Amino acid sequence: MKKLLLLTTLLLNTSIQAQEARDIVRQAELAAYYAGDDGRSAARMIITDNQGRKQMRQFTILRRDQADGGSQDMMVFFSQPADVRDTVFRVVKHTDSDDDRWLYLPGLDLVKRISAGDKRTSFVGSHFFYEDVSGRNTELDDFTLQEQTPDHYVLEGKPKDPASVEFSRYLVKINKTSMLPVEIRFFDNQAREYRKVEALKVEDIDGHPTVTHSRVQDLLSGGQTEMQFRFIKYDLGLPEDIFSERSLRTPPRDWLNLKD
Amino acid sequence: MVNTVLNIAIHYRKWVYWGLLLLTLIFVAQLPKIQIDTDPENMLNATNPERVFHNQAKATFAMHDTIVVGVVNQQSIYNPQTLSALVDVTEYASSIEGVVQADLMSLANVDNISQAQPGTIRFEWMMKSAPSDLAGAQRIREQAERLPLLRNTLVSGDGKAAALYVPIVDKNQSYAIARDLKAHIASLGSLDEWHITGLPVAEDRFGYEMFVQMGISAPLAGLTIFLLLWVFFRNIPFVLPAMIVAMATVLITMGALIGMGFTVHIMSSMIAIFLMPIAVVDSVHILSEFADRHKPGQQASHTIRQVMGHLFTPMLFTSVTSTVGFLSLMLTPIPPVQIFGAFVGSGIMLAFVLTVIFVPAYLSGLNDHTLSRLLEKLPKEQDSKLTPALRKLGKLAGSHAKLWLLGFAALFALSVYGISLININDNPVRWFKADHELRIADSVLNQHFAGTYDAFLVLTDTNNLSHEAIQAIAGIAGEKQMSDATRTWLRQQAGILEQDDDLSALLMAIDDKSFELSNDTDIALLATLQADVESLSSQSKRFLSPSVLDYISQLQVHLQGSGLVGKSNSLADVVKTVNRELRSGTETDFVLPSSANGVAQTLLQYQSSHRPGDLWHFVTPNYRQSLVWLQLTSGDNQDMTAVVELVERYIQDHPLPDGLQLNWAGKAYLNVVWQQEMVAGMLDSLLGAFVIVMVMMVLLFRSLAFGILAMLPLTLTISLIYGLIGWLGKDYDMPIAVLSSLTLGLSVDFAIHFIERLRATWAEHKDWQQTLALMFEEPARAISRNAIVIAMGFTPLLFAPLVPYVTVGVFLASIMAISALVTLVMLPSLATLVRSWLFKS
Repeated sequence: MKKLLLLTTLLLNTSIQAQEARDIVRQAELAAYYAGDDGRSAARMIITDNQGRKQMRQFTILRRDQADGGSQDMMVFFSQPADVRDTVFRVVKHTDSDDDRWLYLPGLDLVKRISAGDKRTSFVGSHFFYEDVSGRNTELDDFTLQEQTPDHYVLEGKPKDPASVEFSRYLVKINKTSMLPVEIRFFDNQAREYRKVEALKVEDIDGHPTVTHSRVQDLLSGGQTEMQFRFIKYDLGLPEDIFSERSLRTPPRDWLNLKD
Repeated sequence: MVNTVLNIAIHYRKWVYWGLLLLTLIFVAQLPKIQIDTDPENMLNATNPERVFHNQAKATFAMHDTIVVGVVNQQSIYNPQTLSALVDVTEYASSIEGVVQADLMSLANVDNISQAQPGTIRFEWMMKSAPSDLAGAQRIREQAERLPLLRNTLVSGDGKAAALYVPIVDKNQSYAIARDLKAHIASLGSLDEWHITGLPVAEDRFGYEMFVQMGISAPLAGLTIFLLLWVFFRNIPFVLPAMIVAMATVLITMGALIGMGFTVHIMSSMIAIFLMPIAVVDSVHILSEFADRHKPGQQASHTIRQVMGHLFTPMLFTSVTSTVGFLSLMLTPIPPVQIFGAFVGSGIMLAFVLTVIFVPAYLSGLNDHTLSRLLEKLPKEQDSKLTPALRKLGKLAGSHAKLWLLGFAALFALSVYGISLININDNPVRWFKADHELRIADSVLNQHFAGTYDAFLVLTDTNNLSHEAIQAIAGIAGEKQMSDATRTWLRQQAGILEQDDDLSALLMAIDDKSFELSNDTDIALLATLQADVESLSSQSKRFLSPSVLDYISQLQVHLQGSGLVGKSNSLADVVKTVNRELRSGTETDFVLPSSANGVAQTLLQYQSSHRPGDLWHFVTPNYRQSLVWLQLTSGDNQDMTAVVELVERYIQDHPLPDGLQLNWAGKAYLNVVWQQEMVAGMLDSLLGAFVIVMVMMVLLFRSLAFGILAMLPLTLTISLIYGLIGWLGKDYDMPIAVLSSLTLGLSVDFAIHFIERLRATWAEHKDWQQTLALMFEEPARAISRNAIVIAMGFTPLLFAPLVPYVTVGVFLASIMAISALVTLVMLPSLATLVRSWLFKS
């Protein structure tokens, strides 16, 4: 009887813990991907390979939330290097189904839908994945709270469907004040830590703690990508209709002008 | 001088023994430091420009040393069992420490780029997990065969084989990794045929076989020589000094080589077996003559003084000529050959020194009992089978002098024609015997795939646009309206650009600056500059240009059409494949985009896969250097040479786009480079050795006539052997090339001894027929004996596991035999004809 009681308490505790962990993750998701009702930022990515060779990409991201923590519209407009200028990605992110993704390549005069599929592929040759940019659906993993320090929560995420991803688990460190994930360490099937995502700089912008400099490292082969965000603005009142197929070929220049 | 040496040797016998023992032990102590080197690349100097370029290209394009694992199923590999084994082995391979996981290539870890439905493009793993049924397997076949980079590289066109490319960090680990892979494959219980090959595996295996050769062949040579000497003298204590000298020479020389920090390469692994027979030759002369001259009751030291008085000079000269033959190898620009030549050459001189000190010391210490037993048991020369045979040969040689000469002339002419037929070719994989598992793996995989031999064509844009960018900066900075602060900043940027040549860094700096500035004029001027530099930056990315990519494509078509290249892979193939899938997915869209921006955007898509780094195997991130990977089904140097010539002709007819430079890299190409250096170097060393030896002969005999005469038998012998190689169609390869000059030094010995004795006998008897008859008694026997010792000494190489050793064994044994025979026949007949000229003084 006592044992049963103990077991029940344990189970209850675990489920309480699991619930607590999920709550933390939800808050972190809101802080990292849903600040304000909409937002704009100019990103610069420096991709460095293991020989120290660099590539640069610059793009402006426009985002508009359909519902906080729910569906989102997102557009990514490339400005540098010049040969990929005006390439555009359009993403409609859904939390309950696969995202819709489109692509416009001006050099080929081509609008293409990108089939729903693996989102853990490289984002334009960087060490970031598509999923890192749009946010991994928190429902895909189970979380447990591993550790608490005065400043941070450390959660462990495990995939519900291990066959669909390349990691076996990851540890995410969330800042208690900003609720932003500041470090994620991924482990592969051989328990090697092979990938690390970090927030290197967090700034307060329009009252939202915002990551303005982040980095992904490939710990096995040695390359890394740094991403810096500038000219960040929230709640610009971005109209719904600019998140459309029309904007792929004719970008909404007014909303993309950073010098205002 | 002879007497001083003898006095010391005879009076300080104990010192000689202990001294030799100590010396040997000091050098033996170095042996455990041995380092094996099996890298064929080391045939070239570390500073050789083509080798340096090859390694740069390998690093730039992340082309690692690769173990190739092949699986073959005679029906089809597209079945759930085979594919699941492939997935399993791929996962296992990527978990091995020392494997470059990011560049490992297999059906189970590459991306499929396809059209999910019209208007959509899809990137997904080709085969993350194995299909559960035949239909699924069939789907994988259809997808894999659509992708040109996979077909005939990762999967064979006939559907019966798949390959796994396992790149490794350090080729010294290849044996351990291959062994782990093999063990894992064995544990799978797969019914398919699995093969493991690749150059690093071959090299490692080679190192192992080299140890076997050194551990077995060299002692076996020692044993063979020991047995032969026993047959000649029937007395173990008597032949012991010859064996002691040989062993000490081999141990000291190898100890010196290793102690001085040289690695043991395929060439130096043969030092022991070369020195062993050569080192006993002088001892054989001393022992022979000692046995002949020693009378019962006489003091051994007295006999040895007599013997050494006779033999010192000819032994010195034969040792020096042999040394010259080997040292001439140092004229070859191939480091392992140079080291081999230097150490065998010095080893021969060491053997000479040891012989003239140790053998007299030893013999003078033999007690009377041993000596009388020796004389009793010594086989009578009359009983030897050699004696009547040599007499017969002597009669033949002396009788039809003109006929013999005509015969030799005809043979020489045929040989020279034969030499013109020689086919220069080599292939390190063929250094293994035909039934070796690596040879089998090699032939099976090359039968199914487009080739496991790699050559890389590297194109480099030599135009430098930084200069124009600096001018553009100067132009803008010269505008009068510009503020001083911005002008100063611009000049700084020009300085930075001059240093690092990085247009993209300049563009970032300009972009940042334009947000900092508040002065509208400056902003406008900077925007102009930005546009200019952008355009220069785009121009500098040469391998995004459709016309340049089209040139590469056309070249590839030409290569494919020639039948010499199994398959080639380039940036153009990547661009066309992605473009096809971005558009209709049908063959009509397997074309290049019409603009550089189109190419850049296509590649941006390619980089959005699971393996973005794959792009950098074909082009550098600044798009200024590009690699075309050629797969060849043959590693023969002549096939590679044909490809190089094909490309050269193509470039002559179709000039490279402006400012582009073409270079070669890849193992198959490097082999050609060192072979060419070897062939040219060998000719130098052969001619060098020939001239030096001839000068020495003239000096030794103090007669030009005798000097020339001494060179004739070996000239015919060497021509004959190489002529035969030409006639038989055997490839002129590394071992054969190396042997030419050193045989010169070895075979001249016979002529030296023959002529010395001929002159002495003539001086004594002054009767030509008698002289000839006497020459075919003891002198001919001594020469034949030595020829037999050396030839037999090399025969253990016939049982060596690697082909080059066997070649060396056959070649040297036959050259020694032929050379002795030619000397014994040619010299008397020729001397008979030109007798009056030879002995006029």
